[in-house]
Amino acid sequence: MLVRELSSTGQSGGGLAFRVATNRRVCRKAEGQHVHHSTRLALCYARTASRGDFVFSADRLIRLVVEEGLNRLPYTECTVTTPTGYKYEGVKFEKGNCGVSIMRSGEAMEQGLRDCCRSIRIGKILIQSDEETQRAKVYYAKFPPDIYRRKVLLMYPILSTGNTVIEAVKVLIEHGVQPNVIILLSLFSTPHGAKSIIQEFPDITILTTEVHPVAPTHFGQKYFGTD
Amino acid sequence: MASADGMVEEAVSAVRRTSGSRGAALNSLVSRLPLTPSLSPRKRTTSQSKTEPPLLRTSKRTIYTAGRPPWYNETGTPFKEAFVIGLCGGSASGKTTVANKIIEALDVPWVVLLSMDSFYKVLNKEQQEQAACNEYNFDHPDAFDFDLLISVLRKLKEGKSVKVPVYDFTTHSRRKEWKTIYGANVIVFEGILSFANKELLQLLDMKVFVDTDSDIRLVRRLKRDIMERGRDVAGVIKQYSKFVKPAFEQYIEPTMQAADIVVPRGGENFVALDLIVQHVHSQLEKREITVRAALASAHQGQPLPTTLSVLESTPQVRGMHTIIRNKDTSRDEFIFYSKRLMRLLIEHALSFLPLKPVIVETPQGTVYDGKRFHRQRITGVSILRAGETMEQALTAVCKDIRLGKILIQTNHDTGEPELHYLRLPKEISEDYVILMDSTVSTGAAAMMAIRVLLDHDVQEDRIFLLSLLMAEMGVHSVAYAFPRVRIITTAVDKRVNEEFHIIPGIGNFGDRYFGTDGTIPWYENDDMDC
Repeated sequence: MLVRELSSTGQSGGGLAFRVATNRRVCRKAEGQHVHHSTRLALCYARTASRGDFVFSADRLIRLVVEEGLNRLPYTECTVTTPTGYKYEGVKFEKGNCGVSIMRSGEAMEQGLRDCCRSIRIGKILIQSDEETQRAKVYYAKFPPDIYRRKVLLMYPILSTGNTVIEAVKVLIEHGVQPNVIILLSLFSTPHGAKSIIQEFPDITILTTEVHPVAPTHFGQKYFGTD
Repeated sequence: MASADGMVEEAVSAVRRTSGSRGAALNSLVSRLPLTPSLSPRKRTTSQSKTEPPLLRTSKRTIYTAGRPPWYNETGTPFKEAFVIGLCGGSASGKTTVANKIIEALDVPWVVLLSMDSFYKVLNKEQQEQAACNEYNFDHPDAFDFDLLISVLRKLKEGKSVKVPVYDFTTHSRRKEWKTIYGANVIVFEGILSFANKELLQLLDMKVFVDTDSDIRLVRRLKRDIMERGRDVAGVIKQYSKFVKPAFEQYIEPTMQAADIVVPRGGENFVALDLIVQHVHSQLEKREITVRAALASAHQGQPLPTTLSVLESTPQVRGMHTIIRNKDTSRDEFIFYSKRLMRLLIEHALSFLPLKPVIVETPQGTVYDGKRFHRQRITGVSILRAGETMEQALTAVCKDIRLGKILIQTNHDTGEPELHYLRLPKEISEDYVILMDSTVSTGAAAMMAIRVLLDHDVQEDRIFLLSLLMAEMGVHSVAYAFPRVRIITTAVDKRVNEEFHIIPGIGNFGDRYFGTDGTIPWYENDDMDC
C-alpha cells in the first residue's frame, strides 16, 4: 500500500495557483508500513479561474501523475547501441498494462495517458452516486478481455470519500484483477478518502499530487464545462 | 510559435544603417548596398574579381551567411572589443561613400555603420522654428548628444546590444522606435564632429579624415539640398555661410590633427582605401582565438558544479533514454519519446523558478494557500536547429510564452562555433530565459548563446540552460564561464570523442529528429512520408 504525492513544484496560470509544502507524512498504515508523502504540488481552484486556465493546469498535473504512474510499472535491464557505436545500459518496459478510467471525471485523464502511451488499452467504468442513498452505484464496465493478467492504471481525479474508487476496485476484482497490481492515479485526495480506500484494499498504490482536507469537488463540471 | 510582434531584428547582417537622416542622398547610396551578404553578392572595389556570396555547402548543409566567430574566451568574458574606425570630414565631404567603400572592401561580416546624425539633440519648439528658417546651427558641437553617443559607442565596442535613436529630420525629434544593434566586429563611425570630443576619440581605434575641397563640398551640398530636399538656393547658401563654413573652420578642420590617415578626394582615393582595409584586416587577424580547443582541455576530472540539476533517473526516464539512444529506433518513436522527455525536463526546470505564496478562494467558499510564479516574464530561446524541437514542450506548459531563436553553426575549417542569426523578443533583460539545446557536448554553442543573452543584459542567474543530454565537459565549460547559469538536463555522459560527439550519446539529435541524416536507405517507406 502506498499513497504518494508527487514531488514537484509548479507554476501558476490565470487564477490557479499551485502550492508547495515541505516533506511530511500524512498517514500511517496500521501494519506500520508508512505512507510516503514528499514535497507536494497542489492545484487550487480559484472561483475566478477560466475554464481554459483550469483545463491547462489540470492537464499539466495529469501528465505528471501519469508519468509517475508509469514509473511504477515493471521493467527489465537491457543494453542498446547508440549511433556513435557505443553501448548504453538502459531499461525496457514490459507489456501487459492497461488504463481504466472511472467515468465521467476519470476520462479527463485518458488523454494524458495516451500522450505517454500511444496504444495503451483503456477500459471504462461508469459509477454514479445514488441520489437518495448517496451510495456509489456501478452502471457499466467495459475492459480489455484479458484484464485479469494486466497491470491496471486506474484513473480518477478527485478522492473525496473514496467510495467511488472502492466500488471501481471491487468491479476490477470481479474481473480477476489483483489489488496489488492496481495503481490509482488521482490529482487530489482527502486524508479520509485515501485512508478508506487503503483500509478496504491495503495492497493498492495511490498516487496523487496533493492530500488536503478540502478536495476541489467541482473538477468534472469545470473540466468538461458542464457547470 | 514565435509571435511576430515583440521581435527585434538585430544587426546580424553585414551592413547596418543607423540613421536615415541624410535622407534621399543616403537612401540612394543605401539602395546600391546589399543589406545582407546572403542575398546579393557584394562588389569589390579593390580587385578585379567579384566575390562570391559567402555560401558554404557541404554534403549535409548549406550556409548562406558568414557567421561570427567567438568574441569571448573560455571564461565567457569578451576578450576583444570591436574595432572602431572613425571617419571625420566636413559636410558633404564623402564620408558615407568612404564608409561604404571600406565596408565593401573589408568584406567581413558583422560590420556596423554608425552615423553621428542619429545623435542630434531633440529640438524644442523655439529651436524647431529656427531650424525651419535655417537659423539653427546643426554644425555646432552643441547640436549633438555626445553623452548618449559615447555611451552607445562604448557599449557597442564592448560587444553589448545597444539601442540607437532614429532621428527624424522633419520633426527634429527621435522616433519612438529605436534601432537595436548587436554583434559588431567592426564599427564604422562617421560624422562631421566625430573627432571633436576627447572621450570619443579614445574609443576610435583608427581615425580617418576625409579631406575634400571646400568648393566641391559646397557644390555637393547645393545639389543635394536643392534637388533632393526641395530647399531654395538662398536658404542653402545662407546656412552654409552662417553655420557650415564657420563650424568647419572652427571645429572640424582642426581635428584633422587627430587623424591617423587623411584621405584626400574621398571615395575616389583607392590607394588610401586599400591601406585602410589592409590595416583593419591585420588588426582583426591578431584577435582570432580558438575557444573550443581551450574548452576541450580544461576542467578534466573536476566534480560537477552545483548549478547543475539532473532530472531524477526514474525507470521511465531511463526507459526513454534507452529508446532515443538506440540507433535502431525508428524516427517516429525517436520523436515521440524525445518529446515526452522534453516535457519532463521543462517541468523540472520550471520548478526552479521563484514562487511566492498566494491565497485563492475556491468555489466551495474556502481559501487555499497556494504558490504562484511572481517575478518577471519567462522567455524561451532555442539554439537552432535542434533546440527548436523543445519549443513545443515549453509552450505546452507555459502559456503565451515569447520565443527567440539563435542560429549557431560550427565552422568546419576552424572547428569553432559561429553565430549566424539572432532574433530575440524585445526587452528581455528582466526576463527569466529558458535557453534550449537538445544536446551539449563541448558547450561551445551554449556558451555563445549565453554570451549573446548576457550581451542583451539578461541577468546571468536568470538564464536556465536546458538540454536532453550533456557531456561532463560541456557542463564544466558552461559552469566555469557562467557560474550562475542554471544547467538542467536529463542525463550527463562522461566523454566526448575527437569529433566532439557525446559518448555513448544519442547521435546527431537534429538529424535524427528532422530526418536529415544520411543513413536512411532510399527505399525506406515511411507511411507518413509525403
